[in-house]
Amino acid sequence: MNESKIAQLHKGLVNKEFSCMELTEKYIEAINKDNEALNAYVTVTPETAVETARKVDEKIAGGKEIGLLEGIPMTLKDNISTNGIRTTCCSKILEDYTPIYDATVWDILKKQNAILLGKTNMDEFAMGSSCENSYFGGAKNPHDLGHVAGGSSCGVASAVGGNIAVYGLGSDTGGSIRQPASFCGIVGMKPTYGAVSRFGLIAYASSLDQIGPITTSVEDTAIVFDAIAQYDKMDSTSQGRKGAPVCDSLKNDIKGMKIGIAKEYFEGIRDDVRKSVEDAIKVYQTLGAEIVYFDLPSLKYALPVYYIIACAEASSNLGRYDGIRYGYKAVDYKDVNDMVKKTRSTGFGEEVKRRILLGTYVLSSGYYDAYYKKAQNLRGKIVQDFRNVFESCDVILAPTVPMTAFENGHAVSDPVETYQTDICTVPVNICGLPAVSVPCGFDSDGLPIGMQLIGNSFEEARILNAAWQYENAADKYKAAGFGVKY
Amino acid sequence: MVTKDEIMKIAILSKLSVGEDEIDKLTEDMGEIISFAYTINKAADIESDFDNINNLSNVLREDEVVPSMEREQILKNAKDSDDGCFMVKNIMK
Repeated sequence: MNESKIAQLHKGLVNKEFSCMELTEKYIEAINKDNEALNAYVTVTPETAVETARKVDEKIAGGKEIGLLEGIPMTLKDNISTNGIRTTCCSKILEDYTPIYDATVWDILKKQNAILLGKTNMDEFAMGSSCENSYFGGAKNPHDLGHVAGGSSCGVASAVGGNIAVYGLGSDTGGSIRQPASFCGIVGMKPTYGAVSRFGLIAYASSLDQIGPITTSVEDTAIVFDAIAQYDKMDSTSQGRKGAPVCDSLKNDIKGMKIGIAKEYFEGIRDDVRKSVEDAIKVYQTLGAEIVYFDLPSLKYALPVYYIIACAEASSNLGRYDGIRYGYKAVDYKDVNDMVKKTRSTGFGEEVKRRILLGTYVLSSGYYDAYYKKAQNLRGKIVQDFRNVFESCDVILAPTVPMTAFENGHAVSDPVETYQTDICTVPVNICGLPAVSVPCGFDSDGLPIGMQLIGNSFEEARILNAAWQYENAADKYKAAGFGVKY
Repeated sequence: MVTKDEIMKIAILSKLSVGEDEIDKLTEDMGEIISFAYTINKAADIESDFDNINNLSNVLREDEVVPSMEREQILKNAKDSDDGCFMVKNIMK
């Protein structure tokens, strides 16, 4: 049984097969070589990486024990605040913004001497599925540079898939961890809402946003999740991990585990994606899992409900960008109102402005009842329907994305058609549930296909157990993350 | 169907300006997005509205004075500041 990348590197450090400095320098060199093609990093931080590596090596030389994530080179999506390191959300409006505090997740990892290699690309304010909404241009897919890495956590997925970071943290509001992980053939998990602190995550839609790991194996996802899922008094919705570390139950037998399949998840899915997920169902049957079929009719409303709620929250969250306290400020203006308007109009990209407008529309008087209020009501219905499903099954298996990675520059110009690609990922955010995407095949062009395992609230241990068993049984689809294909 | 006037009104509320050259395309796109959003009205209502995901309830804490961030630090990201304050143009004559 192969060890995960983090476990292997940890062992290498402890056994002094290589020093942390050597490991760090290897990754810095890899970034120098491959980042131009991938456009994964928007800011690189070699100085802090080397400084931390030195500390870790001193600790090892002094015979001190090191933690699993200590000395492991990693990255953060550029909407996770890093004290003293530029955090842009890949927007012109925050191009030169440097936070004066750390996000809790980074505070946790920094204390464990994680090696931060830099901050990675994303769709502006995490709004998008192709990374083409990034102010810095899109990140590319390491499997095929002619294709996108997905979105919105495209840079993390591109870096981890292209092996210019061991792992990274992304954020998932409607699929932004799982979709790029699926496109890049790696593993990404959106934890239960509240399991991981959102303090210091620059807000898009606060009732949907969640930080989670992107890695090359299920075990690495479990290791990172166990580290970051902690209660945080700075986040009023924080609850932390419930129960034992998820790593403890990763390899449990899944005989008798009830895996639910909803036909609604398979409507409008490309044939090769459907086939790969159906093959995965067969793998689960051979592992002794019981397949349970059920209907989830409210799923068809998930997408409009998601866009209404997400945009409503975004229009409120993004109200703070006025050019006064931080970020870009327009230069030529008449008065304060004109300054704010010009700052926002030239500082935000097209998609961000469109979502702010939609959000303002659905919250405005005269439209509130038919849109926002109705969407909240339906959100309750979707939550209820998922709760009922989990009474008769342990996990739900579904495709992550209806297709494989889009070609560069091929993101559909029709906004609604683009939104449709999020159809499989948004229900989990609406309900606050955990879900992990794992690779389960390739299309005829060699682009990865992913599937997701969805669990009940705070049941990360169960979905990761099911994901690990699949990964172990279907070895040929094991996450790549071993470099860029030029 | 959403009209140009409605989009202009929403833009004012959003503190965004929409140029003459953008308005037609934006109205068309927004019309499409809004019709898509409206499809939820085909669904029947359920009795109780959604409150929050994990049955969270408010946790109140004592209102204690604790150290906060340094003023100087906070002002570092502002484009214009003076005498420990953010600078804007006069808002009153």
